[in-house]
Order: sequence, then structure tokens, then C-alpha cells
Amino acid sequence: MPTIGQLTLLVIAVAFFATSGAISLSRFWHERNGARIAAKACGWSGVVLGVIVLLWHNATRGSWLPLGDNFDTLIWLGLLLAVFSFYVQRTKPIIGLDWFTTPIVTLLLLAAAIFGRTQPHEYVSTTWSWVHRVSAYGGALAFFVAGAVGVLYLIVNHRLRDKKLAMAGPNLGSLERLEHVTFTSTTVGFALLTIGAITGFIQLVFKHEHTSMAKIVLTVGVWLVYALVLHSPINPSFRGRKTAMLSVLGVLLMIGVLVIVQLMPAGGSH
Amino acid sequence: MQRLLLLGLNHTTAPLDVREKLAFNAQQAREAMSAFRERFSDSEAVLLSTCNRVELYVARAVHGHPRVEEMVEFLSAFHRVPAERFRTHLYEKLERDVVAHLFTVVSSLDSMVLGETQILGQVRSAYDSAREASAVGAILNPLFQRAISVGKQVMTQTSLNEGRVSVASVAVDYARKIFDHFNDKTVLSIGAGEVAQLVLQHFTKLAPGKLLICNRDPQKGQDLAQEFNGTPATFEHLAEHLTKADVVITSTGSPHAIITRSDFEPLLKQRRYRPIFIIDLAVPRDVEASVGDLENVYLYNIDDLQHVVSTTQSQRTDAVESARAIVSQQVDDFVAWHRTREMGPAIDRLYKRYHALAQEELARTLKKLPQITDAEKEHLAELTRRIVNKLLHDPITALRSGGDQHTSAAAYLHALEKLFALNDDAEKSKEDESPDSP
Repeated sequence: MPTIGQLTLLVIAVAFFATSGAISLSRFWHERNGARIAAKACGWSGVVLGVIVLLWHNATRGSWLPLGDNFDTLIWLGLLLAVFSFYVQRTKPIIGLDWFTTPIVTLLLLAAAIFGRTQPHEYVSTTWSWVHRVSAYGGALAFFVAGAVGVLYLIVNHRLRDKKLAMAGPNLGSLERLEHVTFTSTTVGFALLTIGAITGFIQLVFKHEHTSMAKIVLTVGVWLVYALVLHSPINPSFRGRKTAMLSVLGVLLMIGVLVIVQLMPAGGSH
Repeated sequence: MQRLLLLGLNHTTAPLDVREKLAFNAQQAREAMSAFRERFSDSEAVLLSTCNRVELYVARAVHGHPRVEEMVEFLSAFHRVPAERFRTHLYEKLERDVVAHLFTVVSSLDSMVLGETQILGQVRSAYDSAREASAVGAILNPLFQRAISVGKQVMTQTSLNEGRVSVASVAVDYARKIFDHFNDKTVLSIGAGEVAQLVLQHFTKLAPGKLLICNRDPQKGQDLAQEFNGTPATFEHLAEHLTKADVVITSTGSPHAIITRSDFEPLLKQRRYRPIFIIDLAVPRDVEASVGDLENVYLYNIDDLQHVVSTTQSQRTDAVESARAIVSQQVDDFVAWHRTREMGPAIDRLYKRYHALAQEELARTLKKLPQITDAEKEHLAELTRRIVNKLLHDPITALRSGGDQHTSAAAYLHALEKLFALNDDAEKSKEDESPDSP
């Protein structure tokens, strides 16, 4: 279970991310270089604090294996999403990406604080379960990015169709770039989710571990949605707006899976 | 005495779907001028038709033809469009307001894109076209010559056309919102409109993977392809080119849409639903508006692009004020010059009449003074001449300057003729000059 000190630091990190998101969102109405720098500084401060919490927590529990419990896992997920968002913004500028990823990061860290305190789960440290966790959470991370970029795609597409709005606000990236990022994230996420699902299935069948039916149904739903998204090169009538909408739907289902996992007695399976 | 009239509609009074119904291409403009001259042979006319406006400038005798209603009917009959469909979008102007409007138009102050230089060429073309049809004379010749000179003055003496956002640059900005890179994209240009060439110039700077130039006239297409380092493409295979294209720039003079929804929809599958950016710069439009409703099709017409451009105009108020000052001064100068020209003969008659009256009275007086010397006679003659000049000085100055610039010269002239009985005088002098008079 996390200590009060770790939780306090985590709440400060959450505050940093929330501030970063708010400052970044203000750029929607008025683009200022100062705001961009402030948002970035707050975001990185949150990352640094999150890493300190992780290190402290691992030192306290005496294990350095990542994803050892749900507190550790949700922080990992949040920080990786934040770092990945910063990386994408640096290499392929998509100005609004952090408007969507920062709230998810904030929620993940808050969830770590809440569930880590009220529903602490020690994850089973077998290889199968570890691979299952890493691939499932990695997939979720990629889908969060795909969903965020999908929302941006829908906004840009709406602006271009409205015409009068097309030149309003900051440049959120071209449709082509957004579609590419969505597709890449989905491809990575889908591969990881598939591994996660197979390893989960093996644990379920061969190791007779129990899990929630809702979790299985939602996971299959996420898998099918992203299978459709990946289907777009074969059936191009899916490309564009439909792909973006499916990505967003997939993220919503994925959030449902994550919530169920946190509410289950032993973190989804044991 | 001539009257100046203007009847027209523009981007501020009429939407594109009305403007395109009344637009004239070069051939239609020539035909319209001939038809106009045939019907109203005593009047002068210039027809200005651009993507933003259709305006008919007319000079005719005060009580002559065409009247405004006849001008409306002329436009309606030529395009076979019921007048009710566009009447509410029309504006009409008279006399000084016509001059002010034309000078404002030619200076691009009335354009959607402030500072655009194209309008100057378009006004010049309209004037040349009217000259070829012998449709301009003593009134519209000096008016349009002065207008072109005003346009040049505004472009050279103000910064109106500096730092402006052009339709071409806006089109490229839009393309960048759809596509990330262009080295694997195909740009297709259909037609050879002037704006389209400007847009094409901007797109070539993006180094597209392929540039296809499609024109009904193969030689023109070949020339353009050479100029822009592109590949000529045949108009007959337009559907095939549309399947390959990622960006389409179209500006033909076709009176009907060349890309319809029913033609384009089946191509979507062949295109594998790739996004396509279509820039329709033609008026009338080349692409049916409903094509823009299709998935992954982004269709922009000239109004859509110009709307964005116009939002940047408020940032150049200094240049606009300088341009307006030039236009205002030139309008005053032209109206004063025109008034002097119109009033000249009447003022001459006025002087002649009153000097003649004075001479008659002087002669009568001199008969009663037989002992008067020649020197004294000279003094008296000079006195009467100066009295007449002084009496006429103020009214004539007022007539020449116009006083209230908005009062029609015709109104002044009419008053002058009535007050000083100049018509009787003119008729009498005509009778005197008549070979049949005794």
C-alpha cells in the first residue's frame, strides 16, 4: 500500500498535469509562446514527481519489477502516456494532442492514488501474468493515443467541412498526419492487446484463474473495434472520419475494462 | 446632357449561386455588348463581369434609354434568368455615385481581397471589350481611362497590395490542413483561369509528386504544362485524372458544372476513398456543390477562400485609408472636370447673351451722348463688360465647382436654362444658323 508521502507527491504531480492541461487548452483561444513553455514545464514536473513516487514505492515494497501492483501500474501507464504525448508533439507537432492525453494522464494518476489506497492489489508475479499486464496496459496506452488523435481528427475534419472555422484556432495537424498517428498507434495497440488477450486466455483456461465476464466482453469489444480500424486499408470506405470515431469508441470501451479491473478483488485475475 | 447609371450585383449583395447565373465569359460579354448596342444605339455601355461582380455601366441622354428596368430586363433576357431571381440582389447608382463606385472597384477597395491587382486588368479588359464594340464614347471613355489611372495610382502609391493574404496562399494553407506532405501527391489543374494559374504557382512550390494540366484546348494545356513543369492531360479522360488526383484546381469558363456528384461518386471507390481537396475557382462553378458533401471530399469555391482572405483585411487600415483618400480626391476631380465639360456650352451661352445685352444697352446710351470722346466710349465699354463679368462671376463659379457635389449637373443645367432663358436663346441661335432661315 502506498504511503501518505507517496500519495501527497502523486497528488502534486496530478496538480501539475492538470495545470499543464489547462494552460495548454488556453492556447486554443490565444496562442502564446509563454503558455506553451509553462504547459511543458508543468507537464515535465509532473513526470519527474511521478518517477520519484514510482522509485519511492518500489524501494518501500522491495521490488523493482514494473507493474507489480495496481498503484505502480497505473502510474506507469500515466507517465508513459505523458512522455509519449510529449515525444509525438516534439517529433510530429500535433498541437492539441495533450488536450486529450493530459486529462487521461490526470485520471490515471488519480485512479492510482484512489485505487492504490482503497483497493490495493499485489499482482501475481509469474511470467505469464507479467506479460499479460505489460501487453494489456501497453495496448491501452496506445489506444489512448489513438483515441486522442481520433478526436483531433474529428475536430479538424469538422473545421474543414464548416469552412468558416477552418482557419480558426491553432493548427492541430493535417488529417493525413492524424490518420497516420491513429493507424500506427492502433497497430501497436492491437498487437499488444492481442498478446494480452492470449496470455489472459491461457491463464484463464490452463491455470483456472477467474475473471469478470464484463471484462472479457469489453476486451473482445475493444479488440473488434480496433480490428475494424485496422481493416481500413483493406476496406478503405472505413478510412477517415469512421476510423477516428471507432478509435474514440475503442478508448471508451478500454476505459471500461480498466475500471472493471480496478474494481475486481485481485486486479482482474489471480 | 448625359446621365451616368450603374446596375450590378457583387459578392456583398448576391451569393455565388446567383452571381454565377449572371456571369459573362469573354465571348458572352462580346455578344452582350453587341446586343446592347443594337438595342440602345444612342447610349454608351461597359459590362464588367468578374467572379465577384457583374456590373453594367451606362451613359445615356437624360430622357433617353435604357432605363434601369430595361437594364434589368436586358440581363434577364440575355441569361434567360427570370428577373425576380436576382432583382433583390441588385444595386443601382447614379452620376457621382457611379464614378465613386467604379474608382473604388478598380482600386480593389470593393474586392473581397483588398489589394488584389487582378481587378485592374479586369476593368481594363471590360473597357477594351466595350471599345471594340464601339459602345463607349464621350462619357465612358474618359471615365474608364481615369478609373484605370486611379487603380494604378492606388497600387503604386499605397501599400494596399503588400503583405496581403491571397486566395492562392489560403488554398495552400487549406491543403496543408488535409495533407502532410506533397511529394507523393498528384495536383490536377483543369482550365487556365488567371487565379487558377496563381494558385498553381503556389502549389508547385510544394513540389507535388505529379502535376497534371488538363485543358479543352490541347495547345494551351501543353503550354501551361511546360510553364509549370507538369504533364499535359486530355480533357476527355477527366474521370481517370480525377481518380489519381489529390488536389484539383479548376477554373474553366464552362457555363455548366464539369464535375457532378453523379460523375464523381463512383470514382470514390476507385480512389480508395483517399481525401481529395477540390478548389473550384470558376464562376459559374465547375463542381456541383453536392460533391462537397461526399466523404473525404473537401470542396472549396472562390467565396470560401475569399472569406478567409477578407478576415485579414482589417489589419491594414492605414493602407486602406490612404487608398480611400486617393479615390475620394480623384472622384472630386473627375466630377468637377465632367461638370465643367457638361456646363461649358451653357456657360458660354450665358456669357454671350449677357454681353450682347450689355452691348445693346451701351449702344443705346452712346446714341444719347453724341459729344462723348472715343476714350470715354472705351471706358464705358470696359465698364459694361466688367459689370457683366462681376454679376456672372459667382453663379458661374458655383456652377463650375458644383457647390454641393452630390447635386446632379443636369439639375443645375436645367435651372440655369430656365432662370436665364438660355433654351430660347439656343433655339434662336439654332434658327439663325439654319440654312432655311431667312
